[in-house]
Amino acid sequence: MKKSSMYRLMLVVFVFAMALSVLGGCSKKPAVVTEPAPVEQAPVEVVTPAPMPEPVAPVLPDYANLDPSKYGVEDVFFAYDKYDISDVSMGVLNTNARILKEAGVTVMVAGHCDERGTIEYNIALGEKRAKAARDYLVSLGVPATNLKVTSYGESRPFAAGHTESDWAQNRRAHFERP
Amino acid sequence: MTRILRWAVLGFALAMSAASAPALAQGGRAEVKIDHTAKAVLKTDLRMGDFRALSGDKEVQETAAKLRAVVANDLLLSGLFRVGGAGFKPEELPFSWTIDATVEATAGGGPVTVNLNLLTWPDRQLVLTKRYRPGTEQVRTTAHHFADEVVRAAVGGEGIALTRMAFSRGAGNRRDIFVVDYDGEGLLRLTANRTLNLCPDWSPDGTRLAFTSYRGGQQGLYFLETATGQVKQILAMEGLNLGADWSPDGKELLISLSKGGDPEIYRITPEGKIIKRLTVSPAIEISPSWAPNGRELVFTSDSSGTPQLYMIDREGAGKRRVTFEGKYNDSAALSPSGEWLVYATREDVVTQIIVMRPGGEERRVVTDVSWRNCEDPSWAPDGRHLVFASDRTGVSKLYVYDVVEGGFRQLTFGNDPDITPAWSH
Repeated sequence: MKKSSMYRLMLVVFVFAMALSVLGGCSKKPAVVTEPAPVEQAPVEVVTPAPMPEPVAPVLPDYANLDPSKYGVEDVFFAYDKYDISDVSMGVLNTNARILKEAGVTVMVAGHCDERGTIEYNIALGEKRAKAARDYLVSLGVPATNLKVTSYGESRPFAAGHTESDWAQNRRAHFERP
Repeated sequence: MTRILRWAVLGFALAMSAASAPALAQGGRAEVKIDHTAKAVLKTDLRMGDFRALSGDKEVQETAAKLRAVVANDLLLSGLFRVGGAGFKPEELPFSWTIDATVEATAGGGPVTVNLNLLTWPDRQLVLTKRYRPGTEQVRTTAHHFADEVVRAAVGGEGIALTRMAFSRGAGNRRDIFVVDYDGEGLLRLTANRTLNLCPDWSPDGTRLAFTSYRGGQQGLYFLETATGQVKQILAMEGLNLGADWSPDGKELLISLSKGGDPEIYRITPEGKIIKRLTVSPAIEISPSWAPNGRELVFTSDSSGTPQLYMIDREGAGKRRVTFEGKYNDSAALSPSGEWLVYATREDVVTQIIVMRPGGEERRVVTDVSWRNCEDPSWAPDGRHLVFASDRTGVSKLYVYDVVEGGFRQLTFGNDPDITPAWSH
């Protein structure tokens, strides 16, 4: 309870106690004050408690030397020719933001595209994807200085094939060690 | 150990003692008149004569045979000649010219001595004679050098036999800069830095190759000295440092930088200092390419919603749109004469090479859908040929196209993708 309430309570008790003793002594007889009898106290055995185990620090990942996917930072994917962050991607980035704030380490956000379109325009589009993911993380409190941005365009694909499924896999913002 | 630029070495090794002035024939007849007005589409008929080995030794004989084959091939590939002895019987063509040569061992040892001659036909007036002393690695270069002289003397044109293409080869995490002679020989690898290197561009004097590399973990602009192989970092701004294009006078470059937020076109010095920012917009601006007059440039912008071609002057004024057909147009380049514009256009499933006048007239689709994805066309200095990348075989390879005659020639082979070619000047 708060200190001021406690003092108030003590004051009330004190006054009450004083009042009681004064009121109790209202008869004509003089109060007899007796010393309380000494209480026999058992000898106190000093017990040394067993030493507490050293508190163990929780095991943290070696963030600086690990690929971000190894400590839970996941990639986000994009629609064809687009760099908008989808609802699904927002969920992934929310989790990434929490982990990255905890880790406090710098990561590279790399933009990728599927093989359609020209080499140069895809590098520019990849950068837009990486920056969109980066900006969203910054808006959730990840320090901007901890997020570097680059783009490989179509030149470093994850899936080597030429199907829709391969293309979808390659349209992403990927997190890597800088 | 890789050799970097054999023709630079040749420059020191050549001992060109013979003059190239037209020679007077015996008897004091008048100087030969050379008609330079023949149009490019009309071919000049040339007869390959004897390339005589003046001694029996193997090196001399092989040199003679090799010289003859390479000179003939160079003249054929120029598109300007029909070459007798390479598909035509001598009697079938009304030849105007003939070439012959002698190759002999040199007294005292060392490189062989080669004399190459260009004469009129049938009267055999000597128009051009050249003497070379090529080392064994320099025989092709010697042939190329002479072929260019023949093009100049016989047709008044600019030969491309000494030109080369730089390009990016590799897959996955590693793409390196390679160079190949224009005829497909002499492949050299110039970088081996275990990362992505792409979009090379030759300086006009051929001494430096600009390219984008992800060395050091981020994009940067680098120059490679072609004589020494040394690589130097020029720029590593935050974001894109992409698509460098040397100006025709070699004094500056165009490049796309996104350090300001989104990619814009800048002019920079070869030392990496920004001269001027040319575009200001929230859109993507990339793929800048100088006009041959050095006063304006073509580039790509998606300010209209999708990538289209625009022109602007060197101060950033006078922006005007150039392409109105197709949803996605990129990678433009004006020909050396400024008469043609080549670029890549994307339809749904393929990307095609288009050639047209800069004003949009005479628009021609160069590669049909069987060529699949075609990108990054680059002009030869003759303004007649261009090189581009196509994955028609399943892997991206380089092909040469003749704008005057049509016709394609595969330039590179093998299993690794070749992309972003640049033809030397």
